[in-house]
Amino acid sequence: MEELEELKSELKKLNAEYAKIREVPVEKRGEFGRELNAKKTAILEKMRQAEESALDVAVVPLDISAPCNVNEALPELYSTLQGSAHPLMTELDRVVSIYQMMGFDVMESRQLDDEFHMFDSLNFAKEHPARDGYDTFRTEEGLIPPAHTSTMQHRVLKAYRDKLVRGEEIAVVVPGRVYRNEDVDATHEHTFYQCEGVYVSRDCNMGQMLGILREFFEKYYEQKLNIRTQPGYFPFTEPSLEFLIEKPKMLGGKKGDYLEMLGCGMIHPNVLKMAGIDPTTYHGFAWGGGIDRLVMLRYGLKDVRNFESGNLNFLKEF
Amino acid sequence: MKISLNWLKKYVNVTVSDQELVRLIGARLVEVEGVIDETHKYDKIYVVKVLEANKIPETHLTLCKIDCGETEPVQVVCGAPNVRVGMLAVWIAPGAVVPASVNEDAPFVIGKRKMQGYESCGMLAGADELDFGDDHSGIVEIDPEMAKPGDLLADIFELNDLIFEIENKSLTHRPDTFGMIGFAREVAGILGEKFSFISSSRAIGANSATVALRNTPRLKENFFSKTQSKIQISIADDKICPRYSAIVLEKHGEIKKKYLTWMDTILSKSGMRPVDPIVDTTNYLMLLTGQPLHAFDYDKFVAAGGSGKPKIIIRLAKQGEKLVLLDGKEIELNENDIVICSNDTPVALAGAMGGLSTAIDENTRNIILESATFSLYNLRKTQMAHGIFSEAITRFTKGQPPYQTLAVAEDFAGLLSDGFVMTSMVDNYPKPEKENVVKITTEEINRLLGTNYDDSLIIQTLENVGFEVKNKRSDLTIKAPLWRMDIHIKEDIIEEIGRLLGYDNILPTLPLHATSNTNKMLSLKTNIRSIMKSFGANELLTYSFISERLLKKAGLDEKNSYKIVNSISPDLQFVRQTIVPSLLEKAYVNQKIPFDKFAIYEMNKVYQKSWGMDAEEVPVEKMRLGFVLAERKNPGAAYYKAKYYLEKLFGEICIKADYLSIKNKTPETLPFEVKRAAEVWVGERMIGVLGEFKNSVRHNFKLGEYLAGFELDLDALLELGGTKKIDDGFEVCEKIDETVTTSKTYGETLAEIEKKYQGARITPVGIYQPEGATTKNITFHIEK
Repeated sequence: MEELEELKSELKKLNAEYAKIREVPVEKRGEFGRELNAKKTAILEKMRQAEESALDVAVVPLDISAPCNVNEALPELYSTLQGSAHPLMTELDRVVSIYQMMGFDVMESRQLDDEFHMFDSLNFAKEHPARDGYDTFRTEEGLIPPAHTSTMQHRVLKAYRDKLVRGEEIAVVVPGRVYRNEDVDATHEHTFYQCEGVYVSRDCNMGQMLGILREFFEKYYEQKLNIRTQPGYFPFTEPSLEFLIEKPKMLGGKKGDYLEMLGCGMIHPNVLKMAGIDPTTYHGFAWGGGIDRLVMLRYGLKDVRNFESGNLNFLKEF
Repeated sequence: MKISLNWLKKYVNVTVSDQELVRLIGARLVEVEGVIDETHKYDKIYVVKVLEANKIPETHLTLCKIDCGETEPVQVVCGAPNVRVGMLAVWIAPGAVVPASVNEDAPFVIGKRKMQGYESCGMLAGADELDFGDDHSGIVEIDPEMAKPGDLLADIFELNDLIFEIENKSLTHRPDTFGMIGFAREVAGILGEKFSFISSSRAIGANSATVALRNTPRLKENFFSKTQSKIQISIADDKICPRYSAIVLEKHGEIKKKYLTWMDTILSKSGMRPVDPIVDTTNYLMLLTGQPLHAFDYDKFVAAGGSGKPKIIIRLAKQGEKLVLLDGKEIELNENDIVICSNDTPVALAGAMGGLSTAIDENTRNIILESATFSLYNLRKTQMAHGIFSEAITRFTKGQPPYQTLAVAEDFAGLLSDGFVMTSMVDNYPKPEKENVVKITTEEINRLLGTNYDDSLIIQTLENVGFEVKNKRSDLTIKAPLWRMDIHIKEDIIEEIGRLLGYDNILPTLPLHATSNTNKMLSLKTNIRSIMKSFGANELLTYSFISERLLKKAGLDEKNSYKIVNSISPDLQFVRQTIVPSLLEKAYVNQKIPFDKFAIYEMNKVYQKSWGMDAEEVPVEKMRLGFVLAERKNPGAAYYKAKYYLEKLFGEICIKADYLSIKNKTPETLPFEVKRAAEVWVGERMIGVLGEFKNSVRHNFKLGEYLAGFELDLDALLELGGTKKIDDGFEVCEKIDETVTTSKTYGETLAEIEKKYQGARITPVGIYQPEGATTKNITFHIEK
């Protein structure tokens, strides 16, 4: 408390100093003002700290080894009925477990990565417009909170390439959180979840890619589905496609009503080459799609912003 | 981009229904985002002949009698100055909707009405009312060679149309499809037809009465030599301008625009506005070929350069240079902008907009027409720096191929030959594009697609869209057409085949492969998720990016956070170091709702600068579990409830922890009150922190006293944890309660009891301290 009083009087003195600015030559006034302001900021910060520590002084210590406080009942858990799991996480678990049943390993995606994994290793030309197209965030160091789970493709290929030598195939899915610099509204979030898939073998082909994706969505929606594709463009796949499914019955779908689910394609030979895999011997396919949208469709949700709101009114429904 | 179906059909024999065409384009080229139905936009709009035109005294109006193809003339009052007897005009009959108003909330329906006491039946239309530009100076006149009174306007100009809307972004990689010819070529390929097309200027003869087929005045071969040319072109760096072609045209007659043309309707349907014949011709050719053009006033251009000799220099702008653009705005150029200079004076911002000093006007005698390509990278930056988003720069920024610059310039001359004659032509193309040749076998194509297409189908499909294929049985040597600069490798060819023949014709199959391994971290999190739900806790997800204020509120140093330089807002500027502060913020939100008591948690990744980089030279990341519980009306110590949650969780995943006084000052422990919190240790390893928060932190987050939480290292839990252990061999022989009166801590007392009853199950019953006493009574329940 004494310290606080001292600081207060110091501040008073300092404030009086400001009046002296008239005596300072005009050309030096700027510097004079800046110095005073810096001092003032320092004092105010010290005052804030002093006030804070004053708040913390009067604290009564606890016996941290005890199961309960003196003269208080033993604690209890809240009612199970009150509990909830986040819908994005339970759905991601479900997605992953379907792929696991189909033979895919799982590797979680990073949340802070570098230019190499996000772009270079994925065959993005140095100045390619697609780099801007991803509206990526960057840190002061040039690190990137990834804009897609494809940022893990190079790692997956490197980590699993020995399997190819043994005559096995690479089959991995990569769930993870991704980020895009875009304005938030009911259907857009700057933070969302994706799941990537990577498959490489000696003789894989596009028919197999379509087969795996159809199988996944049929398992996920627990019904037979019609699928459709559209040409797409990604630097890291060639050919590239958009994958669509006919809206499932459980979502109130009608015939001819198609939903874009993900982007996919045959892995570009340069991507394989960079990961030390011979593209003349091995081929692969990869895909990636949003999880938020799957969950919104499944539950009929209208506002993507609820997911990261932390609002229990929303979360307790799950 | 807007594509008129009628225009498209001039180049492709569409053999499927319109609906099927939309589906096929979507499945094999690009999604058609919307289809604008204009099949009734021009209903009840006719070509008519003005039979009588009498001025109504003291007004600007004219009372007209018109021949609309019926036996009886119709009376219309017209306000336009150019109405005259004998002209063919356009009449919007009563009951018709004014085309320009079809998309308005209340489309304007023409009727019969009285004007100045005279009955007016319908109206004679101006270009603006017909949705062909902004011209409101008079009524539209129709060429008598094209139509007769009573003809439907829609029939003359093929206006019953469907307009396809294509999102430009989806075709970024295919600059060649940004012109009708390129788009039509793809559609032909999709329909399995061979596309053939000779010259763009001939293509305009679609409705040949509109614009007569004109012969370009072909120049002699030696005209290409620069020495004989009137102008010189100098390219500073072929990277910024791969090719620059220009022609000079001299006026030899008047191009007086009198009639509505088919070109006007095409420009309008494609989303552009007819302005004047020269600009319209550049725009039309751009829509047709994808190649943007720019016309300079030759004499102004030479004057701007100051030397009397025309010299075009293409170079990067210098810092500080300024340029007044066509729209009158002066811009400051930067070192990335490409400029067109007359000698060394910048007169146009390349690819983006011309300059005011060389703009063509009604007095223009000579034209320099530019047909060039520029670096898409520079133009993308120029576009952003100066906010210019024209149809031309949209095409340039996709990377237009340079092969056709000269041909399109010639087409321009051909289309304007009524008023101008071409006097010279110059072409500077320093490094002509190399031919792209790909060798591939049909087996390779079929193997990657999973198809069985035969050799002839594959060859035919490629040839349909302009590839040249030489083959020895299934060994193909394929030369890509000049407009396909994106074809380099086998996969590019495979994509063409897969796409044009339809990915939907590929049979989905399932490969068989080995079973998968579990991801232990994912399993641990899934397990915790179900445990915590059964414990009545709520799982949250909060943003990875937080504000400096939030870090400060928790007592953390923002310098230890990675900082986002292009964050959406100050609220999302720093990568979080720990989970708990985000939960404290959400605890406040939920107390306000109001929820009286809750336990919230999140499992997610965090980063701290002080952790440095890992072996891959990317930041070390850690998976954390953060937990916070809060109650509004509880005078007790929240520490113990949080500890109970932790102990119960540890019981489920088989972890035995010790709770020690806080000694380490880390971002994890900083928000916690050392007197009411503990470090969580397993053996020699600290795996987290548990407890109540500093009053200052609580205060900063505006939270009540009953508040506690923990933050755990999930990687440590994964290593140390296991499956819940149940001793089903334990037999209870005796149950006793024992109370110890002591001034020691609970932990010390428990240790003594455990020593005394080795192998027994010991659980706490309560801790009681009578008022005024210095010792407390600790009661244990013992089963042995």
